[in-house]
Amino acid sequence: MDLTDLHLRAVTRRHFLGNCRTGVGALALASMLRQEQASGRTGGLQENPLAEKAPHHPPRAKHIIYLHMAGSPPQHELFDFKPKLVEHHMQPCPDELLANQRFPFIKGHPKLLGTPYKFDRCGESGTELSELLPLFREHIDDVAVIKSMHTDQFNHAPAQLFIYTGSPRFGGAAMGSWATYGLGTENQNLPGFVVLISGGTDPSGGKSLWGSGFLPSVYQGVQCRTTGEPILYVSNPKGMNRDVRRRSLEALRRLNEIELQQFGDPETEARINQYELAFRMQMAVPDSMDLTRETKQTQEQYGIEPGQESFANNCLLARRLVERGVRYVQLFHYGWDMHGTNNTNDIITALPKKCAEIDRPISALIADLKQRGLFDDTLIVWSGEFGRTSMNEERNGSKFLGRDHHPHCFTIWMAGGGIKGGVTWGETDELGYFVARDKMSVRDLQATMMHLMGFDAHRLSYPFQGLNQRLIGPTDEARVNHGILA
Amino acid sequence: MLSKRSMVISGILLVAAVVVPTTVRADDLPIDFNQDIRPVLAKNCFACHGPDENDREAGLRLDDRGVAVAELESGSIAIVPQHPQQSELVSRITSSDPDLRMPPADSGHALKPAEIKRIEQWINQGAPFAKHWSFANPVHWPPPDVNQEQWPLTGLDYFVLARMEAHRLQPSEMADRHALIRRLSLDLRGLPPTPHELESFLSDERPDAYGRLVDAFLADPAYGERWARVWLDLARYADSKGYGSDPLRTIWRYRDWVIDALNQNMPYDQFTVEQLAGDLLPDPTFEQRVATAFHRNTMTNTEGGTDDEEFRVAAVRDRVDTTGQIWLGLTMGCAKCHNHKYDPITQKEYYQFYAYFNHTADNDLPTEAPTLKVPVPEISERIAQIDSEVAVLQKQLERLKDEEQSGQDQKPKPKSKRIEQLQKQIDQLKKSKPALPTVPIMQELAGDKRRITKVMIRGNFLTTGDEVHEQTPSAFHEFPEGAPQNRLGIAYWLMSPDNPLTARVAVNRIWARLFGNGLVVTEEDFGTQGELPSHPKLLDWLAVEYMRSDWDTKALLKLIVTSATYRQSSHVTAEAREVDPQNRWLARAPRFRLEAETVRDQAMALSGLLSRKMHGPSVYPPQPPGLWRAAFNGKDRRWATSTGEDRYRRGVYTFWRRTVPYPSMATFDAPSREICVARRIRTNTPLQALVTLNDPVYVEAAQGLARRIMLEGGTSVKQRARWVLQLCLVRIPTDAEIDEIVSLFKSERQHYSAQHEEARTLATKPLGAAPQGLDIADLAAWTVVANILLNHDAVLSKG
Repeated sequence: MDLTDLHLRAVTRRHFLGNCRTGVGALALASMLRQEQASGRTGGLQENPLAEKAPHHPPRAKHIIYLHMAGSPPQHELFDFKPKLVEHHMQPCPDELLANQRFPFIKGHPKLLGTPYKFDRCGESGTELSELLPLFREHIDDVAVIKSMHTDQFNHAPAQLFIYTGSPRFGGAAMGSWATYGLGTENQNLPGFVVLISGGTDPSGGKSLWGSGFLPSVYQGVQCRTTGEPILYVSNPKGMNRDVRRRSLEALRRLNEIELQQFGDPETEARINQYELAFRMQMAVPDSMDLTRETKQTQEQYGIEPGQESFANNCLLARRLVERGVRYVQLFHYGWDMHGTNNTNDIITALPKKCAEIDRPISALIADLKQRGLFDDTLIVWSGEFGRTSMNEERNGSKFLGRDHHPHCFTIWMAGGGIKGGVTWGETDELGYFVARDKMSVRDLQATMMHLMGFDAHRLSYPFQGLNQRLIGPTDEARVNHGILA
Repeated sequence: MLSKRSMVISGILLVAAVVVPTTVRADDLPIDFNQDIRPVLAKNCFACHGPDENDREAGLRLDDRGVAVAELESGSIAIVPQHPQQSELVSRITSSDPDLRMPPADSGHALKPAEIKRIEQWINQGAPFAKHWSFANPVHWPPPDVNQEQWPLTGLDYFVLARMEAHRLQPSEMADRHALIRRLSLDLRGLPPTPHELESFLSDERPDAYGRLVDAFLADPAYGERWARVWLDLARYADSKGYGSDPLRTIWRYRDWVIDALNQNMPYDQFTVEQLAGDLLPDPTFEQRVATAFHRNTMTNTEGGTDDEEFRVAAVRDRVDTTGQIWLGLTMGCAKCHNHKYDPITQKEYYQFYAYFNHTADNDLPTEAPTLKVPVPEISERIAQIDSEVAVLQKQLERLKDEEQSGQDQKPKPKSKRIEQLQKQIDQLKKSKPALPTVPIMQELAGDKRRITKVMIRGNFLTTGDEVHEQTPSAFHEFPEGAPQNRLGIAYWLMSPDNPLTARVAVNRIWARLFGNGLVVTEEDFGTQGELPSHPKLLDWLAVEYMRSDWDTKALLKLIVTSATYRQSSHVTAEAREVDPQNRWLARAPRFRLEAETVRDQAMALSGLLSRKMHGPSVYPPQPPGLWRAAFNGKDRRWATSTGEDRYRRGVYTFWRRTVPYPSMATFDAPSREICVARRIRTNTPLQALVTLNDPVYVEAAQGLARRIMLEGGTSVKQRARWVLQLCLVRIPTDAEIDEIVSLFKSERQHYSAQHEEARTLATKPLGAAPQGLDIADLAAWTVVANILLNHDAVLSKG
């Protein structure tokens, strides 16, 4: 399927608005589009690049919630238990592991670091999990844990960019942009690709992590906030209430209709529609972002902090947005860069706090999605941008325990839409340094996610700078990991 | 296509008569290799059967006729001229066996039946190849014959009209003076015309009134600011370093250089030479060295644990890729990991070209070295003043010290306290001395420090292959005789009259800014993967005109904007739209949304708030709080909102931080400037509406405009409505439009007369207290009107 053509396909204004209003929405519109494609009709004047489109094959995941722990959590403390590492705790790291390795901060000859935390086999699947995530343990049979992830980037920004845009350099299109480019979105009153940041610091990769790169900017992620304006400029100017806004937009519409008659430019009609959408967005966004509309019970289940920026708030928001038809929700949590240079980034004091911040909200999110029948259509991915070393970093002789950046292995998990629960995929060597079995690369992750959304990642492309640009890059190494698919 | 064929049909009859004496069928029309065949082969076949020998399957290359018609290792022949049935190519693209069928299913490519048929016809006709169109030198074609000979005003109009006539299209009538002045003003200056300019133009009865207007706008310093915007996207100019925490960078002096160079109408060859190699010119001036900051706009990485060499290499590659993009319109970057799959650039040649850029002193350092100090009069004066004060104090100090020493007294020294005081004073003064701003520049390494360049295997800077030396790719024109083998030589090579690409790419870029699309739509790619030009001969003709004018950019602009093509009306009928929805054949003037900076600048201008102050450090117009809270950026977390006139400067002066671009401009498709961007893809989203409706910057503009309405727009509501419509739309408003404004004003006047606090807020925050004597409810209601007009489709568009 040639998506550049597809995205020129149009929906007439009436169809478009009709669907939005009645909310019959999704299926009817998608099938209408398919019919249009089949008949080769290029549609009316209106181009709505975010209208729903049919992918290569029926999707397993209609929505995606990606939970990113910026800084990268230590896999050895959470998922990848290595008795050998505990046994050799504080013994020098074997020389052969250090040959030809570069580390951002480790200098000299580092010592191995065994985890101080207890692990248990959990659920019916017996997946091994750390004591740091007690509530998450209850959902482990719904989750596929992948211990054999690896990347080729060991600094935050490039590694994050690599995961989200397929390139460690700036300029690529984010996965959420690819998703909305390929699939469109269900609810035209809300952005199709939303980004939620917990507070603290933004991820190092910055806005490029949700930028549309070479794709049209209509596909870029829109950052929503729980403090201040939920979307930039969504609030009317001070001193202008909703009625004034409505009356003035009606006048604007009539003026633009005069313009349309005079010049006959289809862009004018598109603009008239965009202003109607903007007005509806002004109504819909504050409502979607208002957590006080949730029951007390739900609020407590997630542990939200009204009026604050928090990961818990964002998990609940993610559910509200997905429920309203937002295609792709990207969360960034901060502060996972556990180097052990002081007690705000060590694995004894800081790490348990970070885990406590996510344990309840993530568990609530899974339970809530299931309860509302959204879980099977919603893919949840949890990851950092790389792994952490098997050795203690000990920067400048620090007495705090911590781990440096490590690209050769890390653990992520996936759940929901199309994922087989209770699976543990891949294995690392006995010191948790390299992948020993069933490697899964960042490109494999991308191909697998695209597959669940209904795309062959090798075929989903956009022509730019002489190349058919793809999320998975120019080479053909990306493989869908069928081992974790339901 | 059909009509093009009818044009050449008489020629065909002769040829066809030889081959098939009895009947002439459409099948026998000659196939144009560049038009019909190469694009199909390039898209579907070149990846495995193209220029890249490392990925070449079965020894076959379809970009080279010699190989394509020769016997392959397998014994078969891909193309047997005049014998499609014997050609392996045809049997493979028509095979029903999925194992034999080309292109393979998993490639994602497939040939359409019409494409297959054309390939067969082409082989039947002898399979002639031709040089890729853009690699052949442009020709100054004679203007073609046209039917409507009275229409053309300039040479270029003949080319456009001929294509129109071939497509049975009629040119539109000429736009009226209102439309013309607004279009011209926005195109040349990025600002709307003032009421005064409009009045003088309307009343100018001289026959060359329009030409005079063009000259006046080209002479306005606003011209340089508007066209600098275009160049700065290409130069990936930004006020930050990009990677990691995206620390801030001081390089605004380069932006000013571009503005000034454009305003002085520096010829494009000089503009090129100074930016690529100003430092290598004999006795370079300060300005020529500042120009080289062009290639210091590359990103640097100061994040902990990064390898400086890795990011220096990334910067050098970016210089190569950017140079290839801007001047050659080629995607050279494809060849850094492997031979180019589509264009004739091998990986080795990429690194030979890279070698020219591999000898500069910069090395991804946090200091940005090497840099130049930028003289700023006020700062220099202050420094001189402090220096002289320090000198005076220093003398006193020395005298006291001498006296003390000569005293040789053991008793307590009253003078030592004074010495201490003086020393402290001197230290404080020295501390308070302001530093001159700097600009990073290119500086060639001395002979013994020059770097060795090696091919990087799969693009990895750690795994290198053979050593290479400076050389330009062999498929291109000769390196100019006697030119030095360095960046300066490259600049001369790019601007050589033998270079088929530079002039075409440049005129296409200018055309695209005026018409919304280039004659070659893929401005960034003139290679085999790019689109073909809509008017190849016009592109050639303009390219040669540009070269013959000695690269006179203002003259080129004048040529285009005085053409009949440019001066058409942008009204479009349903029928014309049906025939040519994309306006490829230019039978009407284009109509499209203004770009980010112009949306802002126009709002500032209409509101009367615009500051025309030029040059200097980038400014910080209001943006929502907290956006600069990026990771790790300890001291650079604060956006220090500008005060005074800096709040209202043109968009080209807005501070540009790569990871957090100014939000309203990003929403209107401004790129992040991380890499060279040849064209901005226009979008139309509701988020744009939210910007111009609600962003406090635009609310403030509406407040300013409301005050103008009341102060300048006459006294009655109707007068004011007419005045503001004419100001914003730059045309005579219709009664229906005036009525709409009047009734909106009345309804909101009624609302705000009962809501005094709301009225005051809407009319004065953030702009400030209303001028004496203006009724606040009136002002609030006019603010609503102004807010709507700044969102009017005709205001946001150029037609």
